[in-house]
Amino acid sequence: MRVLIKVPLSWVREHVDVTATAAELAQALHMSGTEVARVEHVGDAWEQVWVGRIAALAPHPNADKLTLATVEYGAGRVKTVVTGATNLTVGAVVPYAASGARLRDGHAPAGGEPVWITLEPRKLRGVQSEGMVCSALELGLGADHDGILVLDPGLPVGAPLADVLGETILHLELQPNRPDCLGVRGIAGEVSALYRLPLRATALEPISFGTLDPSLLSVRIEDAAACPRFTAAYLEDVRIGPSPRWLQERLTAAGMRPIDIVVDVTNYVMLELGQPLHAYDATKLRGRMLVARRAQSGETLRTLDDAERTLDPGVLVIADAERPLGLAGILGGEDSEIVPTTTTVALEAASFEPRGIGTTAAALGLQSSSGSAAARRFAWSLSTALPPVALARAVGLLREHAGARLVGAIDVDPSGASERRAAVTLRFSDVLRVLGVAIPDAEITDALLRLGFTVLVSGERLTVTAPAIRTDIAIAEDVVEEVARIVGYDRIPTRSPSGTLPVHEAHPVEEFRERARDVLVECGLQEIVSASLIDPAWLALLTADGTPIAPSPLVVRNPTSTDRSVLRTTLRASILDAARRNLKHRPGVALFEIAPIYLPRHGQLPDERPMCAILLAGAAGPVIAGETYLGAGRAFDLHDIQGVLDALGRTLRISGQGEPEAGPGLHPGRSRAIRSDGRIVLLFGQLDPRVALRWDLPENTFLMEFDVRMVHADVGAGGAAVPPRFPEAYRDVACVVEDKILYGDLVREIRASQKSGLEQVALLDLYRGPQVGPGKKSFAVRLTFRSAEGTLTDADLDRALSRIAGRLRHALGAEIR
Amino acid sequence: MANVTDLMIMREQALAAVQGAPDVAELEAVRVRWLGRSGLLTAALRSVAALPIEERRAFGAAANQVKADLELALDQGSARVRGAATLAQFASEQADLSLPPRRLRLGRLHPISRTIREVSRILATMGFETVEGPEVESDYYNFEALNIPRGHPARDKFNTLWVSDPLGDDPERPVLLRTHTSPMQIRVMESRRPPIRVCVPGRCYRFEATDATHESVFFQYEGLAIDEQLSMADLKGVLYSFARQLFGGERKVKFRPDYFPFTEPSAEIAFDCFVCNGGGRTNSGACRTCGGSGWIEAAGCGMVHPAALRRVGYDPERHQGFAFGGGIERLAMLLTGTPDIRLFQTNDLRFLETA
Ligand SMILES: [Zn+2]
Repeated sequence: MRVLIKVPLSWVREHVDVTATAAELAQALHMSGTEVARVEHVGDAWEQVWVGRIAALAPHPNADKLTLATVEYGAGRVKTVVTGATNLTVGAVVPYAASGARLRDGHAPAGGEPVWITLEPRKLRGVQSEGMVCSALELGLGADHDGILVLDPGLPVGAPLADVLGETILHLELQPNRPDCLGVRGIAGEVSALYRLPLRATALEPISFGTLDPSLLSVRIEDAAACPRFTAAYLEDVRIGPSPRWLQERLTAAGMRPIDIVVDVTNYVMLELGQPLHAYDATKLRGRMLVARRAQSGETLRTLDDAERTLDPGVLVIADAERPLGLAGILGGEDSEIVPTTTTVALEAASFEPRGIGTTAAALGLQSSSGSAAARRFAWSLSTALPPVALARAVGLLREHAGARLVGAIDVDPSGASERRAAVTLRFSDVLRVLGVAIPDAEITDALLRLGFTVLVSGERLTVTAPAIRTDIAIAEDVVEEVARIVGYDRIPTRSPSGTLPVHEAHPVEEFRERARDVLVECGLQEIVSASLIDPAWLALLTADGTPIAPSPLVVRNPTSTDRSVLRTTLRASILDAARRNLKHRPGVALFEIAPIYLPRHGQLPDERPMCAILLAGAAGPVIAGETYLGAGRAFDLHDIQGVLDALGRTLRISGQGEPEAGPGLHPGRSRAIRSDGRIVLLFGQLDPRVALRWDLPENTFLMEFDVRMVHADVGAGGAAVPPRFPEAYRDVACVVEDKILYGDLVREIRASQKSGLEQVALLDLYRGPQVGPGKKSFAVRLTFRSAEGTLTDADLDRALSRIAGRLRHALGAEIR
Repeated sequence: MANVTDLMIMREQALAAVQGAPDVAELEAVRVRWLGRSGLLTAALRSVAALPIEERRAFGAAANQVKADLELALDQGSARVRGAATLAQFASEQADLSLPPRRLRLGRLHPISRTIREVSRILATMGFETVEGPEVESDYYNFEALNIPRGHPARDKFNTLWVSDPLGDDPERPVLLRTHTSPMQIRVMESRRPPIRVCVPGRCYRFEATDATHESVFFQYEGLAIDEQLSMADLKGVLYSFARQLFGGERKVKFRPDYFPFTEPSAEIAFDCFVCNGGGRTNSGACRTCGGSGWIEAAGCGMVHPAALRRVGYDPERHQGFAFGGGIERLAMLLTGTPDIRLFQTNDLRFLETA
């Protein structure tokens, strides 16, 4: 998941003196890889809103709850407004909106869409109000509508409010390879590189570590892999109270809620440098120590989100001598929380192994944007160089704004993380090799220097060290990407690849599958694509008694919904569902789908078996409902689905050979399934009417299914036909047989007696009735003969016919007429 | 006693009668009057015997010519009056062509199938062979082998659906529904040696709330090329040609850095919108095809990460290449003007018959 952060532009400008407009900056960041989702302009709507000062306050002559406030907003500009606010004092600096200003309606229902109104002069209880003084909500600056927004008294009275309180906020979407951009300072570094501007040195007073008396606070790391670095400061005389206004405004602009000076400072430093910090009430630390260790079985913790959690053994916690205090890098605990009476603070800035944080946060459901802001940052590879810097910054702010006194600080760095900065060695030619464009050596070096890299050049080789906060630079390709980002991806030319073309493999099954798609489209069938995840309940609805027609499916452990919770082992349910839904608004459907089914296999990934399902139901003609003037139209019948099989047979040479049986879930008398190696290869016929009823489908619903791979394996050889040289001749034969004799039996016997020269057998008529008597039927067939050697004579035909008649009498007990 | 001059007068009279005949019956009357058994021309022909020998030959030839002329004129006259009758009949046979037609049942491929074929066809022109791979995948191919080990923050981006096998699960080897077609990069590289150029279309899955642009089951395409000399410039060239063939026309390219754990450097490629030509607006307001940005993001791409190459036993010093991928539905939406991705899986024929 990309992390979305809000970066106030004024904060960036504090670190780098960039004059480009927000739009230019957004474009430059976008093109160098930092996605700008949105540029928000706070205060753009503030026309006719000024910095005002309350010059006088007087009671309203006609209303107890209203006050007349005289506001001056510049030399000679004085107005009187009527207000209900109670937090005004003479001399207070407040936002003053003259008539014509556009403000948010403070009385619109909370939580709804903001309603904007244009201010007009009006009388309130008989006194004219010339504009108004505004709450934060009315200016769109937050949710506060309890009183008038009291501004910093140092603001220039008479200035347009937008000039002093307006802010541009960049909404950035960060990718996990750039933890440096989690801090405003890191974004400023990008801007500095893009615009060739120096990054301002921070006025940071460094703190000296190793000065802390262990009887006040000691720090121990028990698992250096999980917690490579732990820095802490011990502060006394801390006054808990609200933060200064500018700090609160920054937090608000960046999307965080101000709480108290200590929490606000930790958040402020996190937003500025990307490094989360945690503050403890030092008096509550038993044994006066902080330990980074694995949780033990059965340990519990009441976290700041008011949840009592039983800790999984192995989860990294910060503990004191006796008990866990918080989930390391994720969430603090209530026991050591800062409270209004706290005066002694232990401040933690540590490094944690990111995957452990990511896994734990995910397991606790705290990795999302509504979860832990610290965990989202620690899950990325934050630099181990950050903790002492962040700690110093926080200590500096608390000294300045909370009266804090630094008693001492400690830096535990067992693995020497602070010393580790990997250098990458590459050749200048690597840039050409990877990008396909020659960038001059000097430009390569310049691009890296702009990014704050140190570069050592030795002939063709460069040894490059990234700034400590850039934890993503590990190999030559990473460095090449940095060069490309700075010189611009536009420099990369567009070229047709050279080189040997690989030899391609044949894909006969896939080609056959695509040919089947084409044939079915040519047959007038519409292709569908259904979700491969289905409702398991469907699988029990495919036969009259609920017997499954397919093996038990693979189950999704974390489905989005029940109706998409198993991987289908048959296409049938999907196509029945598609037919059912379409038949609600049309009289007939002809559908097919070709897709894999997923059959579990012992000890390996499932067999993904390409299948084809075909369905015909309802009206055969493509008539639109009610259009019957050309005749009511035919309904699909069994011979239509046979026709599709015939078309597949003729075009794809599907043989359909094998011992037939009834198809599962189909009408037993009107279906056929062909099995091979114990598996059904192909089936077709009428859907079991009881199943049809269950799916709200008409009785005339016909199905065909085949296993693409197995049918393909059985495809017969073919060859193009050459038009014959000699004419054909035909004879019609009528034969009366027992009703149980199938037409297929008849054709088989005719063909068996006439190995060559019989071109075609056509069924002229099928008759049951008084002329043949009960229990019998008559087939009238036309036999077409042709010889490759010459024109057939009457004598040839007579001979053939008498042989056929003899065979039919003998084999089928037929009476020839 | 007739002579040749008489014959010529008879000819003129007879032809005039044919010309004037308005219908088949009148024509027949003309024929009987002149050419019938006792017709005027027949009688004249018979009278040849009474002529002197020296005149017979010339008179006979002239008489036969007149007969032939008259027969020809009668044939033509007959065609004339029959044609007029036919036209009169046609004039009375006006059909109402605004009546509904006898409708033919038409089959149609699903737009997903058509788009996959189109992508494969275009990439085949550049030597890419279409291969397919499993949708139910191991954690190793979907993540580990692509530089996304457990706990890696990029995993958050792939909201994974995990699979349980009714025949039993191995907790050491979790099974999932592939979240992208990229696992096939590894499978193909494992089973082949460079040069490689393959295209992999197929179904993918994510735990995703469905909306107009997201589906939990969707299709992707993937391209992979490995050789000795391939660079970002070749990647850009392939994708440029791909976009030209898919969208048509000269296209402007936007190539910018992006991040994927399994490519380095990584990029996103976009082309100026083929509907508004990059302006972001159409006559009816903001362009719906590109959302008003003027750009159509076509693919995420990059150079295959050396760690991935090493993992399949390739030497990154010798072989390198690029990979790219994108959503099939997204292309299908662009090409068919479909506003909502969910339509592709409704199987609603009212949509499919027009998409
Ligand atoms: Zn457009």
